[in-house]
Amino acid sequence: MEVRPILSTLFRNKTAPLLIAAQVALTLAIVANALYIIQERLAAAARPSGADEANIARIELSPIGDMADPKSIQEVDLQTLRAIPGVVSATWANQIPLGQSGWNSGGLSLKEDNENASLSGAHYFSPGSLIDAYGLKLIAGRDFTQDDVFDHDPDSGNAAPKFVIITKALADALQPGITNYNELLGKPMYGVAEEPAQIIGVIERLQTPWANAGAEGEQSYILPIRYLTGAFQYAIRSEPGQLEPVLKAASEALSKLRSDRVLNSQRTFAEIRESRYANEMLMAGLLIAVTLFLLLITASGIVGLASLWVNQRRKQIGVRRALGARKIDVIRYFLVENVLITTGGALFGLVLALSLNQVLVRQMEIPRLPLSYVGIGMAIMWVLGLLAVLGPALRAAKVPPAVATRTI
Amino acid sequence: MFFYYLKLGAVNLKRNPIITILMIITLAVGVSAAMTTLTILRAMSGDPIPQKSDRLFYVQIDTGPVGRESDNGEPDSQMAYTDAMNLWRAKKAPMQTPLIGTSGTVSPDRKDLSPFFVSGLGVGSDFFKMFNVPMVQGQPWTGEQDQTAADVVVISKALRDRLFGENADAIGKRLILSKHQLTIVGVLDTWNPLPKFYRLVGSNRYGDHEEFFVPIPVVTEKLEDIQGQVNCSGRPEPGFAGFLKSDCTWIQYWVELNAASDRDGYFDYLNAYVLEQQKLDRLPRKVNNRLRNVMEWMDRQGVVDNDTIVATWLAFAFLGVCLVNTIGLLLAKFSARPGEIGVRRALGASRTEIFAQFLTEAGVIGLVGAGLGIAMTLGALAYVRHYARDIALLTNMDWMMLMVTVAISLIAALAAGLLPTWRACQVLPAAQLKSQ
Repeated sequence: MEVRPILSTLFRNKTAPLLIAAQVALTLAIVANALYIIQERLAAAARPSGADEANIARIELSPIGDMADPKSIQEVDLQTLRAIPGVVSATWANQIPLGQSGWNSGGLSLKEDNENASLSGAHYFSPGSLIDAYGLKLIAGRDFTQDDVFDHDPDSGNAAPKFVIITKALADALQPGITNYNELLGKPMYGVAEEPAQIIGVIERLQTPWANAGAEGEQSYILPIRYLTGAFQYAIRSEPGQLEPVLKAASEALSKLRSDRVLNSQRTFAEIRESRYANEMLMAGLLIAVTLFLLLITASGIVGLASLWVNQRRKQIGVRRALGARKIDVIRYFLVENVLITTGGALFGLVLALSLNQVLVRQMEIPRLPLSYVGIGMAIMWVLGLLAVLGPALRAAKVPPAVATRTI
Repeated sequence: MFFYYLKLGAVNLKRNPIITILMIITLAVGVSAAMTTLTILRAMSGDPIPQKSDRLFYVQIDTGPVGRESDNGEPDSQMAYTDAMNLWRAKKAPMQTPLIGTSGTVSPDRKDLSPFFVSGLGVGSDFFKMFNVPMVQGQPWTGEQDQTAADVVVISKALRDRLFGENADAIGKRLILSKHQLTIVGVLDTWNPLPKFYRLVGSNRYGDHEEFFVPIPVVTEKLEDIQGQVNCSGRPEPGFAGFLKSDCTWIQYWVELNAASDRDGYFDYLNAYVLEQQKLDRLPRKVNNRLRNVMEWMDRQGVVDNDTIVATWLAFAFLGVCLVNTIGLLLAKFSARPGEIGVRRALGASRTEIFAQFLTEAGVIGLVGAGLGIAMTLGALAYVRHYARDIALLTNMDWMMLMVTVAISLIAALAAGLLPTWRACQVLPAAQLKSQ
């Protein structure tokens, strides 16, 4: 291979190759870090909530002044909702995964003495079956029955539910290392109310309204409580594909029922998810745009400078061709030259990428960049460089040997 | 000569059109990425109330039970009703206000308008003066009305326009809020500080602003409706009265002092207050108070999120790549013209003149890049507005930022032009003339 003459040419005329190498290094540093952050954000936004997301919606109504007998109002509302064609299940529910507002309780434990317990979980409650309404997957035990439901008036007493259903993530936190979730059934869980509640079921997954990172985002539990307030909050699950018409019909039907309350919000799960992850998607979108532009710009820089070289070296190329070099030899010269420059830049970029990440880790509490991302970045730079230089190299190959004889 | 060079520069844009276009796009993209993130960062981290941000303090008192202290030793971000009322009644600062999120349903007197849901705040009368809240009609309620559950309300301009029509006089009119009749005493002028620095906990920092303001007793005795974050370590007694008695934390508390240097004095008072409460068997933890001014509190609450800072860093690194690229392309463009330089030099042009000519040409490219960069920045901000409604209101570019954009673009182009220009000046006239 003709690496040595290429190298000595590069060293004689340093400015342009140095510029390209610098650009490759900077681009690599940014692209590797950006790709990692993009991947992190998209992965966070793609985590499943555990609910049958495509077919769920939530409706909230606010009372105008105090409301007498909220229990019978709830019952009439639910009868109305269930009568709507396309409704699979409807229940009152205090909160919804990813909804960003809700109840959280601390001090959860399997032991009575839980003064120091810092374990907390999202506190779902409903007089109906949330497993039905949210489409959750029960992996051990049973769902609540109507007999389990406990009426609770916040103005006169504190809730004392007897039974609780917990998520797998909460079970893992309550009893680290657990393998058979049936073991937990019948055990008491402290911290929910005055008295412990007996665990009767374990569900696969139910994210909290905040959907925090890690296992914490899935530590939830459900209680069979009928909450007697004027805040009417309903979860509706429709047949597949029927959500939009069902939600519209439901909002209209509820608004028509009574005039002493206001329709506060009506959202499909898709809208709730979009709103929860708007910032993550924005960040990923901006970084993808930055990465694409950056690659485009670096490629354009290589094309520009390579074209310049080809023009400057027309005579040399002509001489080489006249002395017997084939077209492929000329093309190969430019490709090898580009690989050398890119490699130099990429090695420097590797150091730069890791130092940039180091700064981000220290200042922003961002996880450390896996080396594989730098590897991916380097591969991208090589392919990009080769593609960018291909055009000018092909043009160089077209230089006729006769150029050599014209001006010398 | 400068204008001649300017004209030459403009004419020369057409030379090597591909390289020229690449350069302009490169500059524009780099500049717009940097400006977009900088606009957002600046809006997020700016001082929302520069006249007195060092004299407005956010008060924290550690209310929780012993044995469940948080790892970082930070007291809860809000305080219990009992403490807020004690501090408020003691009035040890020149001005102070508790702050409670609430909501209600407005039933308009008009037949053509159906009832609607609004969110509001329970505050003390000092609130309006402390945060420089402008009034377009009327004025806040008085200090005497603070404690008496007076049926008065201050509403936003938007709520007034919705209820009574634009610019209608609302003072003295009634507002039926969740069945309670309140008398409107004041109407805010447009006031939407972003972030909502006065209420960083339990509310959307970049979202909608409150539409009504009532004295705190109206919330605790009539509306009985709390919006925001509530944190309880024990179980309160039933009902709203039980909740008020509990050590649940849900109230934010601000004081304004006459000078930043009065801070130590007020802090001593807070510590003495906690010791006194401990004699009454309250506040079991050891004294652990905080008194932070506006900027310190915004910093503590992480108002500028890490994402924005990372994005800004990456954008400036990106601008760096664009500059390196522009240098390379300018080098290519200029070094294609040794003949022209040779002739000019041979005809008597000095190196300085060549330098001025080529630098002007680089400047022209910078100007065109700046124009395109501004257009792209506006486009990018529109994208941000569309996808993050949260920070929508932050992303309006002002004249200042526009000037900075032009300046950055121009300086970037000139800086990028220095090396290529210097190289162009090295051309030896004789060598060039020979080969013509």
